[in-house]
Amino acid sequence: MEEKLSILADAAKYDVACTSSGVDRKGKEGSIGSAFQSGICHTFTADGRCVSLLKILFTNECIFDCKYCINRSSNDVKRTTFTPDEVCNLTIEFYRRNYIEGLFLSSGILHSPNYTMDLIYQTLKKLRCEYHFNGYIHCKAIPGADPELIELAGWYADRMSVNLELPTADGLKNLAPHKSRKNILNPIRQIQSGIEESQELLGMSGGNKGAYWHTRRKLEGKTIEQKRKEDAIRYQSTKRIDNTGQLDNTGKLGNVGKLDNAGNLDNTGKLGTLKKKSSIILPGEAEERNWVQSAPTGLSKISQFAGSRGFVPAGQSTQMIIGATPETDFELISVTEALYQKFDLKRVFYSAFIRVNDDSALPVIPGGPPLLREHRLYQADWLLRYYGFMAGELLTKERPNFNVYLDPKCNWALGHLEEFPVEVNKADYYTLLRVPGIGPKSAGRIVKARRMASLNFADLKKLGVVLKRALYFITCDGKMMYPTKIEENYITRQLLNLNEALPKHITNDGMTYEQLSLFQIPNFS
Amino acid sequence: MKPVKIVQCVDSVEGIFTAVYDAWAMKYGHEFIKLEVIGMDESLNYELFSEYVLVEPDSLKAEKVAKSIRSKISEQAYELVVKAALSSDVRKADAIYHFLVRGFLMGKKVVDNLSDPYVQQIFEMNRFVGNETHFFKGFLRFVELKNGILLGKMEPKSNIVELLTPHFADRFAAENFMIVDMKRGVASIHQRNQEWFMTALEEEQMEALAAYDTEETEYSVLWKAFFKSVAIKERENYNLQRNQVRLRYRKHMTEFQE
Repeated sequence: MEEKLSILADAAKYDVACTSSGVDRKGKEGSIGSAFQSGICHTFTADGRCVSLLKILFTNECIFDCKYCINRSSNDVKRTTFTPDEVCNLTIEFYRRNYIEGLFLSSGILHSPNYTMDLIYQTLKKLRCEYHFNGYIHCKAIPGADPELIELAGWYADRMSVNLELPTADGLKNLAPHKSRKNILNPIRQIQSGIEESQELLGMSGGNKGAYWHTRRKLEGKTIEQKRKEDAIRYQSTKRIDNTGQLDNTGKLGNVGKLDNAGNLDNTGKLGTLKKKSSIILPGEAEERNWVQSAPTGLSKISQFAGSRGFVPAGQSTQMIIGATPETDFELISVTEALYQKFDLKRVFYSAFIRVNDDSALPVIPGGPPLLREHRLYQADWLLRYYGFMAGELLTKERPNFNVYLDPKCNWALGHLEEFPVEVNKADYYTLLRVPGIGPKSAGRIVKARRMASLNFADLKKLGVVLKRALYFITCDGKMMYPTKIEENYITRQLLNLNEALPKHITNDGMTYEQLSLFQIPNFS
Repeated sequence: MKPVKIVQCVDSVEGIFTAVYDAWAMKYGHEFIKLEVIGMDESLNYELFSEYVLVEPDSLKAEKVAKSIRSKISEQAYELVVKAALSSDVRKADAIYHFLVRGFLMGKKVVDNLSDPYVQQIFEMNRFVGNETHFFKGFLRFVELKNGILLGKMEPKSNIVELLTPHFADRFAAENFMIVDMKRGVASIHQRNQEWFMTALEEEQMEALAAYDTEETEYSVLWKAFFKSVAIKERENYNLQRNQVRLRYRKHMTEFQE
């Protein structure tokens, strides 16, 4: 058992998502377990990543041959498979000792996608119904499995995820020949629409939208009801609920027709633009509609499960591998934005590419995994979800990659000096959020505290504002902290001179911050 | 200038509240009053020209203070103060007193007055206590004893057993478990499907509990194996790990035991 667990945990570790967040659920009589909205980290591994869930593969036997994956069928690794009871028992006993917050069940593809999805579903069902586990469960939807099996698993899981793996179709074709973007995006769409429907029918109030959705809503000054109504209108154009409460394909979809395998469609008359964009996986509404099933069949088991936990109540997430294929940061962040906007994902994770297989199709990255790039992407992801930035503000086609020396927010601020300085005692929350050195917590505190008294720089420091970064961008009652030039090169130099240590997880990127010479920065001449 | 009066009390919510009551009743002028918990700061020297007053805890007085906070300031302020009283911060009694002085003057708005140093201290202590409680929701480890009872030992900085137990009582309603603060000798006891309660432990009991440490069981071995295999070698980073799980928390965590 110990060996089996080691193999199947080892094989699952490259999946970065380990969050147990997104759902609040009290304990239930006769069951063991609860769930906590913000999630709970139970320990941290030697690489500093949080362990929250028992993250394992059901099996590492796999018929697919994805070039980046340690479990690819052509690899000679030890193969093994759990039984559903083994998984259930491990989960319960680990949970009782408070080692874990729940289960994260992924799997290699054993025999066929359907066979595998069914195994996952059977295991989850057993864990919930026979072992009475009421804690957190995250499971994978297997690309290519029947919608019905995916739905069944969704009634037992809290969160589901389908990994996008690579942001472009070309990348996917090269490195994961057995996967297609259609097979990846369709389950995502199905789960999204299932979550919507289950919320409507089960009367889940407040909704279960991600941070991105709520940030946009607040920025537009809308209430939850207003925004939901708008979404419903948008949604109506792609689906219709008939008398029986079943969804069917109608309206615009009919005209667009069926998906083809290549994901291209030519009867919309917009072929020119589509062709051009088709290298990005999710460029625009039009293309997306072509190969994504816009109106999945709906929840067919809703009567059977009504009143239960709900369908995937903690939402869904996905992950992309960074640096295995030549996409730019702009492409990555645009894809991310599209996933939040159009697929209501809770989280998009990035995984710095680690060369576990020696394959000529895979790049050799001299400094090890691109951890700094991964870090910048996460920073940008936060800017999208909590700060109200749009992808197009952070990067453009002309400037498609993040500056490794400065975080994305400083970088943005330096390019938009005309919007500064900001008056701390007057500016609204979202304007404050755009100031380098001010985050959601300190911005919230500022808004609260200034109702009582006008704030000065000493107060800001105490409220948690990082003044060494913020001082170039703010005034308190019309005065700057000390006279400073508002000029791009000057501030850039000052910010770089801060010599701020990079976060601790950036160590072996083949580049250390200390080695930085100012003359390397093109901006400076 | 008047000499400062230093009001000393014992380390408990009741003790601090009693000191607040007595200090208030002195009508000495709030700015000349300082509260101090006895024995918290060993490096502390007696101050010259100060007058020391020792206050014995009195449940009636403490009850009155609690009632006034809830009715004259707010329920939120009450929670903030109680949590601050559980912290390990040596300034806590004094911060609570001066926070309450402001609170009784301003009412419930006192909690928004974030530029006030005492209000800041109260929030700071709350953050620490709250964070530590949250950490232990994840870091606490249970060992299953022969009779099926789950024993969870810990040594937190703040006095959080009472704050932590509701989480586990909800999660493990059908389990018998106890959570023990090995430093303070206090524990919470939860029996299957019953209300939990707090208890102080005798020295022999503590010694008996300390002996349960290093037992290897089937599941602790499996857990350690899992913990080892999920780390990615190419990303190894012990600094980050140390930042996330402080060394002081690791003593009772299965995966960090040799």
